[in-house]
Amino acid sequence: MSRLKIENLLFTLFVAGVLAGAVQIAREWSIRASIIILVLGGIGLLLAVAQLVLDFRNLSSTKSAVALTMEAPALETSSRWGSCEVWVWILGFYGAIHVVGFPLAVPLFVFSYTKVYGGGWILASALAAMSWGFVYSLFDRLLHVPWPESLFSVMIS
Amino acid sequence: MLEAAIEGLQGVLTLQSLSMMLLGVFIGSLVGFLPGIGGPTTLAIMLPFVMVMKDPVPVIALLVGIDAVGNTASAFTSILISVPGSSGSQATILDGYPMAKRGEAARALSASFIASLIGGLIGPIILLASLPVLRPLVLAFGSPEFFVLTLWGLAMVGVLSGNAPVKGLMAGILGVLIATVGMDIKSGIERFAFGEPYLWDGISLIIVALGIFGVPECIDLASRKSSISEKHELGSGFKQGILDVFQNMWLTVRSSAIGIWVGFLPGLGSSVADWFAYAHAVQTEKNNRNFGRGDVRGVIAPEASNNAKEAGSYIPTLAFGIPGGTSTALILVAFTAVGINPGPEMLTTQLPFTFAIIWTLTISNIIAVALCMAFAKPIAKCCFFPFYTIVPLILVFVFIGAFAAHFNHYDLVALLIFSALGFMMRRHGWPRAPLLLGVVLGTKMELYLWLSYTRFGTEWLLRPGVIILFTLVLASVLYPVWQNLRRSGSDTAEAG
Repeated sequence: MSRLKIENLLFTLFVAGVLAGAVQIAREWSIRASIIILVLGGIGLLLAVAQLVLDFRNLSSTKSAVALTMEAPALETSSRWGSCEVWVWILGFYGAIHVVGFPLAVPLFVFSYTKVYGGGWILASALAAMSWGFVYSLFDRLLHVPWPESLFSVMIS
Repeated sequence: MLEAAIEGLQGVLTLQSLSMMLLGVFIGSLVGFLPGIGGPTTLAIMLPFVMVMKDPVPVIALLVGIDAVGNTASAFTSILISVPGSSGSQATILDGYPMAKRGEAARALSASFIASLIGGLIGPIILLASLPVLRPLVLAFGSPEFFVLTLWGLAMVGVLSGNAPVKGLMAGILGVLIATVGMDIKSGIERFAFGEPYLWDGISLIIVALGIFGVPECIDLASRKSSISEKHELGSGFKQGILDVFQNMWLTVRSSAIGIWVGFLPGLGSSVADWFAYAHAVQTEKNNRNFGRGDVRGVIAPEASNNAKEAGSYIPTLAFGIPGGTSTALILVAFTAVGINPGPEMLTTQLPFTFAIIWTLTISNIIAVALCMAFAKPIAKCCFFPFYTIVPLILVFVFIGAFAAHFNHYDLVALLIFSALGFMMRRHGWPRAPLLLGVVLGTKMELYLWLSYTRFGTEWLLRPGVIILFTLVLASVLYPVWQNLRRSGSDTAEAG
């Protein structure tokens, strides 16, 4: 039993749980608000049971995951830790937006990422300046986007 | 009729109108290239400016120019970085991006532009010609037929997820459930909002699209630590892409027809045409095993369709005053403000305005494709940039695009949640396209189902149109399953 197959089964269970939860919650509502959820959610639950059976059978099978026609290929399992690394960057960017605000977090993130993975000082600075210029000119000056208040701006005000 | 056509052309070819059209094409192309900032947002921003204008033709030139070309330029981001520049270019990713990864970005781009051009030219021609034919058909459709039609679209995309039809259908249903999140105005019930005011307005389609498609691809690129393209050459694919379209002319024409039809159906429009055309291509083309792995036909079909759709959406807007989508709804507002009265008059007293729209759609598409062709190679070269120059910029685009949905801090939280969902779906081979289509169609499906139930009880299931369409739904679901079973049976026989 490979780790990926167990993960696959758990993900199907998660989707089945979401569908079951949605149907259960919708049962309390009027027919106007729940009709589509009950009709399609019910079908979805039947499909989820079928998929769970397939996943259970797949646990003992030696076949690898099937390819998809209308979908990009599944992510390589070897990239698991590489994916974690990228998630840290994504969450870091999200945290930076909270702490210093969007207009500052954008160049900071672009500069740090480029520099850490091998970009030179000039390239990293140019990309950071370009991204800041784009955000500032289009969103700040032209569209007057109301950026969310950052922790930094709250502290200094 | 000929006089009106000439009068319309003369109105469009004035210096003022041409300048406005060029401005519209430029803005529309720029907006198409920027993920997250859609055509409707731009049209909404432009409304206050155009409403003060006295002459209606330059207003037509500007707004129709913006609306006509967004899908052409959005192919750049769909193909090069796997982020849809507009909702009409989502299906292009499925084959366009694998082509870019193979070093065939130029081929995919040129194919998409020529297909867009042909779709954009066929659309306006059909716009007028089809009016007398299609009008009785649409008027014969009631909410039950529209419900089954949307169900058919969802089922087609769901089962066409190759060997995972159950997962595909479940993903589609999950998408419909996501579309129900928010305050239900009719019943006053807060659905799946859990007391959070942010969720009362529902979840933005842009956020779902960026999370499901944009971030997982970015994670993949960053994890591999290489450039977007796995082959560092453009090759001679640019000319090949043009030839591909002419070699698949019948597919291009059929996809354009699908786009026009989807655009024509009121309310269905916007982001469905490309998926329908893609699904049609997968289902009808021979040797379809390469779809999803970089088949140029998977680029041609959605790109021809999404451009033709724009012209199709003007049919109900002009003839009945019923906008085919969000963009045409905004244009309708502008038309009314400058004295154009959409409705049957557009085919009688205001016929020159109708022709001005048709000419604008045609000329804008030609200009946009010429611009995109001229700059395709320099932009395609960004495929060869190392990952550390692309990844942070894409993530910035994705975050800003998501934030632009409501300008709310929770937009980013929603983006992270859908990114995690998209990541898990991709990791475990769940098709993501049906989920997005479910979100797109969910609200309409619910409305059609409710109207059918309240007006006809359960008797709507016995309407002839419904029975025919349900038969098509069943055929769409069962035929690929039967094909799979037959294929696996023959594989087993060969192995034996």
